[in-house]
Amino acid sequence: MSGKIQSKMFVEPGTILDILKKEVDNGFNHLVTVTAVDLKESIELIYHLSDLKGNIKHVSTRIPRDKPEIATVTTLIPGADFYEREITDLFGISFYGKQTTTGRFILPECYPPGSPPPLLKNVDSNQVKDTLAKQETCEFKATTLHAPLSPESVVVPVGPYHPAFKEPEYFSLVTDGERIVKAFLRIGFVHRGIEKAAETRSYLRDIFLLERVCGICSASHSWCFVEAVEKLLGVEPPSRATYLRTIVAELERIHSHSLWLGLVGYWIGFESMFMWVWGIREEIMNLMEEISGNRVHKSFVTIGGVRRDVSDSLLRKIQERTKEFGKQFENLLDTLVSSEEVIERTKGIGKYDIEVARKFCTVGPVRRAAGELFDVRKLEPYGAYTEVDFEVPTEEEGDVYSLIKIRVKEVLESINIIHQLIEKMPSGNPVPSRYFMGTVPEGEAYGRIEAPRGELFYYVKANNTHNPYRVKIRTPTLANIQLVANILEGYSISDFPVIVTSIDPCFSCMDRVTVINSSTGEKTVLPVKLLKEKRRR
Amino acid sequence: MTSINSKLGFRKKSLWVYHFNSGGCNGCDIEFVASLTPRFDLERYGVQLVPSPRHADVLVVTGPVTKNSEGALKTIYDQIPEPKIVIAFGTCACSGGVFNNCYNILGGADKVVPVDIKVPGCPPKPEALVELLKKLTLGD
Repeated sequence: MSGKIQSKMFVEPGTILDILKKEVDNGFNHLVTVTAVDLKESIELIYHLSDLKGNIKHVSTRIPRDKPEIATVTTLIPGADFYEREITDLFGISFYGKQTTTGRFILPECYPPGSPPPLLKNVDSNQVKDTLAKQETCEFKATTLHAPLSPESVVVPVGPYHPAFKEPEYFSLVTDGERIVKAFLRIGFVHRGIEKAAETRSYLRDIFLLERVCGICSASHSWCFVEAVEKLLGVEPPSRATYLRTIVAELERIHSHSLWLGLVGYWIGFESMFMWVWGIREEIMNLMEEISGNRVHKSFVTIGGVRRDVSDSLLRKIQERTKEFGKQFENLLDTLVSSEEVIERTKGIGKYDIEVARKFCTVGPVRRAAGELFDVRKLEPYGAYTEVDFEVPTEEEGDVYSLIKIRVKEVLESINIIHQLIEKMPSGNPVPSRYFMGTVPEGEAYGRIEAPRGELFYYVKANNTHNPYRVKIRTPTLANIQLVANILEGYSISDFPVIVTSIDPCFSCMDRVTVINSSTGEKTVLPVKLLKEKRRR
Repeated sequence: MTSINSKLGFRKKSLWVYHFNSGGCNGCDIEFVASLTPRFDLERYGVQLVPSPRHADVLVVTGPVTKNSEGALKTIYDQIPEPKIVIAFGTCACSGGVFNNCYNILGGADKVVPVDIKVPGCPPKPEALVELLKKLTLGD
């Protein structure tokens, strides 16, 4: 359950590695994210750690503004790499002991090196904007290997605008023939600067802004933020409202997963799968439009309830239509997923095991495909998930095929959840009498929910005003993408789009604050010969 | 509309579209893709999504223009052969929308390339794009 942060463990910056090591040994081995907050006199870093039973711990340390540096924790938790890079760019904190490249990660390359980090409190948004506007063009630097390429190797650039992707992203693939030897990733074409903008808008307006972090899981974003704000206010939404929120979130999961299943068909060259799945998906989009008035950005969740009630006749309609959808979906996917095209192109492709999945702090279906039941709906139940009986599917293999199977099962399970909720729907008025326009008392809270792509995390700090002091967003793709760049090695170029998209990446979510520079950031590269030997073994 | 129609000349009978995401939230992008799928089926008007700007007649821009995508948008616009039409699809591409005062946002697509048609909405429904492209191909 998301909640107010009542107690934090305060530690000295010098001891952070030892403390985290102790916590990891105690079972708190999932680093949710690292949050930086500018407290004006110092900068606070909060390490949110979670175990697999739904407990969460916040380890806080303060570092001086004039000497912003701290030891990296990547030696202990490799998945912390991207979280730290994000902070380096936005807060100017350097993490020493890192074996990675430095430079611009979040901000465009042309943001001058000496300019102030944008998320510090004394930096004005317009100031950053002006600095950026003065720069002619922003050419990004393609990542290449530092060691000279062997004659057999070729660097294949993919992107940033490439027909294989629907979102901008840039890969340099070092290849040996058809095989990928090393993959470098550079993202950040969609970075907008939403966290800074959220600090200047009121809580109510923030819901509409944060919803637009992502157009696929928009209700998850607004719900996660509202969940944290409600905890700060001490407001409990009416139970009908939590039921309705859960229904919309599950409809969104169905729409998001079926969207991905269609696209996976498209990427393996099976266009009929794409057309069929997207064709039946429209039914879910229609339902969302009937519930909220919009197909994509639903603006359904608001502080203290939902924005509009759903009539009983519409609820019955949802029940009937999702039942029909479930039948069609099952029939269709039974045929498609068992077809040879799909099996050949996905089975055993992009394989990883649970150790690797844990190492990179992966979340959601990506973690579950390797066999670990990691689902916030079960670990830290929120909304109406305690009221329903449902299962979270897991698979063992950890390849693209098991990701497909998991998402198919999850769609059917979501329909089951929706039906149970409609049966049990409590009466009452879920719409608050007026929209929340007031101030939020001082405090910190976090929201943690299971978005379609995995665990979504929000940190909100309030200071008795109309605007939040700090909003931190950690999207599931940021946690999952580190894994992908690392498992690409050894696969053929033709498998590359399938592997990258198998985690269902959503770069608009991720880039709102983040740019990533390379897969592991390692500057050295294994000689091709050595890799060949490795593969033969 | 008529002037834009005449701009395309003989090529208007089968419009080939290139899609450019300049920093959007994916909402417009997904609605754009949805318009190509069976429910809306844009292809019945001869509209086709092409993977290269050099084959395109129409550039559809979605999302506010971020500093990082500015250069790419210019390059892609230049690569489309004349005559060409630019459609700003969604409120963000029209004006920057909800992100207008974010620090990494330049504003709408018209800050970088000349825009012929603006389709507001957050996101616009696929029907809007279908109707628009239908009008472009068949006339008003």
